[in-house]
Amino acid sequence: MSDDVVTPEDVRHVAGLARVDLEDDEVERFTEQFADILAYFETLDAVPEVDSEAELTNVMRPDEVRASLETAEALQNAPDHEDDYFKGPNVS
Amino acid sequence: MTAQTVQQGDLVTVIGLEVHVQLETNTKIFCGCSTAPADGPNEHVCPVCLGLPGALPVLNEAAVEAAVKIGKAIDATIPEETRFHRKNYYYPDLPKNFQITQYDEPICQDGELEISLEGERHTIAIERAHLEEDPGSLQHVGGSIDTAEYTLVDYNRAGTPLMEIVTAPDFRSPKEVRAFLAELEEVLEYLAVFDASRDGSLRVDANLSIIDGERVSDDGSIELADLEAANRTEVKNISSHKGAEKALAYEETRQKNAVRRGREVEQETRHWDESRGITVSMRSKEAEKDYRYFAEADLPPLRVAHWKDEIAIPELPKARRERFASEYGLGEEAASKLTSTKQVADFYEDVASEFDPDLAATWVADELLGELNYRDMQITDIEGRLEEIATLVELVATDEITAKNAKEVVLRGMLDERDDPETIVDREGLGKTDDDAVQAAVLEAIEENPDAVADYEAGEGGAINFLVGQVMQKTGGSADPGDVNGLLRAELE
Ligand SMILES: [Zn+2]
Repeated sequence: MSDDVVTPEDVRHVAGLARVDLEDDEVERFTEQFADILAYFETLDAVPEVDSEAELTNVMRPDEVRASLETAEALQNAPDHEDDYFKGPNVS
Repeated sequence: MTAQTVQQGDLVTVIGLEVHVQLETNTKIFCGCSTAPADGPNEHVCPVCLGLPGALPVLNEAAVEAAVKIGKAIDATIPEETRFHRKNYYYPDLPKNFQITQYDEPICQDGELEISLEGERHTIAIERAHLEEDPGSLQHVGGSIDTAEYTLVDYNRAGTPLMEIVTAPDFRSPKEVRAFLAELEEVLEYLAVFDASRDGSLRVDANLSIIDGERVSDDGSIELADLEAANRTEVKNISSHKGAEKALAYEETRQKNAVRRGREVEQETRHWDESRGITVSMRSKEAEKDYRYFAEADLPPLRVAHWKDEIAIPELPKARRERFASEYGLGEEAASKLTSTKQVADFYEDVASEFDPDLAATWVADELLGELNYRDMQITDIEGRLEEIATLVELVATDEITAKNAKEVVLRGMLDERDDPETIVDREGLGKTDDDAVQAAVLEAIEENPDAVADYEAGEGGAINFLVGQVMQKTGGSADPGDVNGLLRAELE
């Protein structure tokens, strides 16, 4: 599709942005997979362009409070929590 | 001119701001969760502001109205069409891994705000102002941001509507920045879209660079190329007017020192450490392109340019200051105090419409605001009692009580004991004593103090003051000292 070749540096950079630590062999594997994934986007070139729904503008709601989730519900799928907070590793 | 020969006066400071202000709405910008302070963490959260799969944002109309009001107040263009974008970055304060913001089609473009500093007016250009959502809040537990053991996350704040206001690099000193932030807050509070007393409601990032004075033209403008050539730092984590002035004064000195020593200023992001009073270098992972902005397909475009004509905004502080000066004959300082908040200005106009505008100015600007300030209170803290304050001014205006008693006894009693003015006047017996009683006290004082009378007759100036004091004591301070002085002199002639 384009001349942009995905390099191992690209993969390391994107992984760094996502705070993901990759081993060397993973970098190698992902570099190949990235190239494959990006190639799939070429498929989209075959899709005809359509205009978005022109009527659809100014979709807004009134400023009225609606019920939030219970804190326990909000936390139920989290891998870890403490004192009603979500808990995760240190980030900087 | 070479770098070595640049003298102190030849270095010009250039500052531009990104100001984030929290908009006062009942609910978050893309969901119906309340923006009121919560009792505990993660109470005002729902699938939308937690970024759960499949949840869809729906824009809060009140946030857009607030943005249009701000646009009107800063004389900005509201474009025919404006839209939202996703700004991608990975950090646990963003549950979706992107922030919904506006990128190349912000809701307000090309505005300005005039500030007045030491009698001089400066116009600060506002390049843009856009709507976005606030991230959540993080707590780094067991150490600093770098050394913490783990992170706790509260998403109550996530999705709170913010307006980011971006100025041109039009500031030439930290003082101007402070004046701008004060003026901006005043305007936003007049519009009732902002509450400065809310924790974290104002956050400022500032870009500062130092330019060779030779590159600045006579009208103070600087070529874009010269601005871009200068290395600048972005100072983050500023949360008050005072903090902004201090942080930027520090940064200004740090950069000027570097330039004078012939060192290059490093282009970087720095963190303002309020407690230590310094800025420190901060690692920044993302460059602009790393944010990979793309259109937010879940939010259709907005077409609200016509709202500018439909939404009314009140008279703004600057216009009101000028009107107060011309309509009520107030000096600059009084006019500026009396327009500092819309509530103060409205109250002043109420009182000035009934009594002498000068007396009203003294009572509202000096006595009331002075006593409130002393108690660390705002006019909004006594909102329900302004009627009583007006009654007090009336008691003074109609000569029922002396100005001294009104301030020292009644006003202070009203604020400290929460009594109404009539109750205090009755309880303390402050009603001005009638003329007969004052006359009787004058005669008594003369009779009881023959020595002082003799001194007065011998031409000793202090004696009359002693006699006035005696009469004041007998009348419990409720007589007018000037009147007493006259009455005494008349008797002693
Ligand atoms: Zn929500």
